[in-house]
Amino acid sequence: MSAIATELAGERVLLLPQKAMYWPAARTLMVADIHFGKAASFRALGVPVPRGTTSANLAALETLLTTHDTQRIVFLGDFLHAKAAQAPATLQAMLDWRRRHRELELLLVRGNHDWHAGDPSTLLDVTMADEPHASGPFALCHHPDVDCEGYVIAGHVHPVFHLRTTRESLRLPCFLLGTTRAILPAFGAFTGGHSLIPEATDRVYVAADDMVFPIEKR
Amino acid sequence: MSPAFPRPRPLPSRQPPVPPGEAALPARPPAAGSPAGPSREAVEAWFTARGWSIFPFQREVWDAACHGTSGLLHATTGAGKTLAVWLAALQRAQASRKPGLRVLWVTPMRALAADTLRALQSSAADLLPAWQVESRTGDTDSGTRARQARSLPHALVTTPESLTVLLSRPEAKELFAQLDMLVVDEWHELMGNKRGVQTQLALARLRNWQPGLMVWGLSATLGNLQQARDVLAPDGTIVEGHLRKELLIDTLVPDHPSRFPWAGHLGLQMLEPVASEIAQHASTLVFCNTRSQAELWYQNLLDARPEWAGVLALHHGSLDKEVREWVEQGLKQGMLKAVVCTSSLDLGVDFLPVERVMQIGSAKGIARLLQRAGRSGHAPGRTSRATLVPTHSLELLEAAGAIEAVRERRIEPRPPPEKPLDVLVQHLVTVALGGGFRSDELLAEVRTAWSYRALSQDEWQWALDFVARGGQSLSAYPEYRRVLPDEEGIYRVPDAAIARRHRMGIGTIVSEATVQVKYMNGSALGSVEEGFIARLAKGDHFLFGGRILEFVRMHEMTAFVRRATGAKGAVPRWQGGKMPLSSELAHAALEQLRRATEGRYDGPEMQAIKPLLEIQQRWSALPTPHTTVIEAMESREGHHLFVYPFAGRSVHIGLASLLAYRIARARPATFSIAVNDYGFELLAPEALPWREALDEGGAFTTDHLLEDVLASLNASELSQRRFREIARIAGLIFQGYPGQPKSNRQLQASSSLFFEVFRKHDAGNLLLTQAQREVLEQELELGRLRTTLQELQRRRPSFHEVRRATPFGFALMVERFREKLTTERLSDRVARMLRELEKAAGP
Repeated sequence: MSAIATELAGERVLLLPQKAMYWPAARTLMVADIHFGKAASFRALGVPVPRGTTSANLAALETLLTTHDTQRIVFLGDFLHAKAAQAPATLQAMLDWRRRHRELELLLVRGNHDWHAGDPSTLLDVTMADEPHASGPFALCHHPDVDCEGYVIAGHVHPVFHLRTTRESLRLPCFLLGTTRAILPAFGAFTGGHSLIPEATDRVYVAADDMVFPIEKR
Repeated sequence: MSPAFPRPRPLPSRQPPVPPGEAALPARPPAAGSPAGPSREAVEAWFTARGWSIFPFQREVWDAACHGTSGLLHATTGAGKTLAVWLAALQRAQASRKPGLRVLWVTPMRALAADTLRALQSSAADLLPAWQVESRTGDTDSGTRARQARSLPHALVTTPESLTVLLSRPEAKELFAQLDMLVVDEWHELMGNKRGVQTQLALARLRNWQPGLMVWGLSATLGNLQQARDVLAPDGTIVEGHLRKELLIDTLVPDHPSRFPWAGHLGLQMLEPVASEIAQHASTLVFCNTRSQAELWYQNLLDARPEWAGVLALHHGSLDKEVREWVEQGLKQGMLKAVVCTSSLDLGVDFLPVERVMQIGSAKGIARLLQRAGRSGHAPGRTSRATLVPTHSLELLEAAGAIEAVRERRIEPRPPPEKPLDVLVQHLVTVALGGGFRSDELLAEVRTAWSYRALSQDEWQWALDFVARGGQSLSAYPEYRRVLPDEEGIYRVPDAAIARRHRMGIGTIVSEATVQVKYMNGSALGSVEEGFIARLAKGDHFLFGGRILEFVRMHEMTAFVRRATGAKGAVPRWQGGKMPLSSELAHAALEQLRRATEGRYDGPEMQAIKPLLEIQQRWSALPTPHTTVIEAMESREGHHLFVYPFAGRSVHIGLASLLAYRIARARPATFSIAVNDYGFELLAPEALPWREALDEGGAFTTDHLLEDVLASLNASELSQRRFREIARIAGLIFQGYPGQPKSNRQLQASSSLFFEVFRKHDAGNLLLTQAQREVLEQELELGRLRTTLQELQRRRPSFHEVRRATPFGFALMVERFREKLTTERLSDRVARMLRELEKAAGP
């Protein structure tokens, strides 16, 4: 597991190749844009997306829980993709997972999709919050441009970095760490990405397989 | 001020577009019963009255149609073939009290519909004035559509897409109850692609309703004319209407061939010679292979000859419809000195005043060259003349080959696609909307379409499951319902929103998302791809429609611009498949090289290229039908391998991927691949023992060919790109259209995302298989690939270590678009790329 340790607002955090962030001092895992039930919403609208993305999302969380001592998972918005994500099969899979991790604290900072989709079932026992949600030095948000006290940790944009050499180019999900905010890559198994041009003050880290690489400024 | 057409004229674009011919019919009564059509005598008298004589092929078509025989009319462009078929239809008209559509005229391009409509209307006005003749295409306004939906006219000109939309109406069967004849115009343009398959399926439906339906296809010259007939009208006859016309193909040979560039696509160094040729003729069409090239040529011609402002025009598919129509009118009336154009002017009615055709760069195929040449010299006593204008030295070789191939009339075939499942999936939803279907009945009907004649029960069941359940029955999704059987087993679309989305998405042409380009006052200029606009910042200049424009802002799928002066800025690039050189043309070029090795340089083209070929021979060797030249070279960029099989770019992509894969199987590597029509280049960042790799395991063997090609596909991005088109046609991706509010945000996902998810969670999905098959058959031309490998095995390899790029190698080295093939792990690849960047940045 080749995560990268760095400091944000004086706190030590780990950038994980699974496109999540771990905050050891608070035993907190942060995950942005998981978009549960996106495939189900597509199916409900007549677009046949295969099954398996919900279990892939849950399995990915499961892996992180076994490798990182976690007391709380923070979902930085877009937990559910749309109303149709409340479909019974999707919910059942999530409840089964929740039952195995009863002790875990789940916090959801509502994102734009959550406003349309509605809050997740109370059976899932998720604490709901609106952005910005203060936690230590951090302001937990969905949108990166929230004007507030604290160092913003957000998602929403599904950032992707375009790595280019003279011969090759690759699109890779990335972390953008700025002076006032950090943006996490999208975690979901069925989410795309948007190429972003990092701001001059951003530190960029890309995730590939089981590695995270810093991108040097030049 | 507006150079896309004569400058003094302001943009003619305030009023909303009105489909020609329909403005005159604001509120016609429903197409009522009508009298019988004209007799043969009346038709002949009509010709005589005009001072025209009747061609034998026209009588042949009339006689055949009289007996109810279907067929294919093979003829060059011109009113002759339209009248042959149309007047046959009129003569067949029975007196009837029943209203309804009698003749359906399918044309491949919306732009052609307007001209065809005018031609049909003017003769019908004299011969059968009671008939209503209208058009229905994507350009038709909603009022007219609604009226037509209640009752169709007696004759309707339409496109395959609009026809399919009609078939999706619940009352489709009644709409076509009186149909007597279906005409497919420019069938050669349709039969080789999925729009042709869409036409076949529509035809199967109409034939099922009207077993006696007469079908006529109109086609230009093709290498597989019999097949063209079989696909459309298996019992039909072939009528030969081809008038052998004087045809002259020549080349504009550069004055100083030794100073002519070795590579390039634009060919602007030929500007002056082209301009002086234009000056000597009343009217010239200058064909370019891409829209961006046309934009540049137009601008540069105007800079070179400012006095042509007003008589030099630009025409390509992304320009606003009114601009295009204005140019076409100007051509017809002989008001334009020259028009710089793309394939947008390949088809359609003739422009009598055109004396000369110039082809900038390779025409890529003999049929295409003939088609374009045929656009000139229609005035009496004139010869069709096309002049090839090479954009780099090696095209002289191709020109020499082309001229010989034209002389021998070696024309390419256009094979129809084999059972594309994405088109079938779309058709199932269409028919479910258009009255519904029973599985066994529709299967029988679909199998009457040529492309699906061998559709297996399994494939059918898969397509049905795909639309009904979202996949195979084992993994049925309860929330998914696109098409469902009712209590009687009739499949229908239960959801109105799905029905609406399907009708909007009908079509098999896949284009990039485009945005409208408009002036601040709202007048439209045309459209460019979204990706291009996305790269522009406010204030950036770009060249479009022959003008320098400044980008102001983007608002809801519209880019607002204003005129600018000064720096030209970027030229938009429009996606669009690069045409591969046909094997006919490639072989013709290789034959010229063989003669060169014997010291034979026939004709001015070969004389001009002689010094260059001598350099190639000195530094390396000349490829011939008996030798494969292979060159290895080292440069700052890395380690290059050049191979010249002369098999056309699509085969070269396949060959290069195969070879790269076979080399990289033993040692993980990433290759950058460049191809052109003559050969390909593999470029590796690290040194590879090319020679041993080529010698050791039969790099060009046909053993395990399919297996290796499939594996090489997984290592490259070809299938993924192909999947984009399939995903859209099969209804996975909903595009919406310009002007439409951003609907269904929750439905947004890219095809690459679908590709990933399918590959991970539903690897057996037939749409993935289809993507692979299409890459194999259409992009890589597997059949041709196999033949080429066999040829390569027979040819003697001639391996050369070269110190600098040879003339043939240079053209590949400067190729910008490159395929990637990698067998490295993603993280290893990222690590290596970061190392390279670090090294390049220096200490």
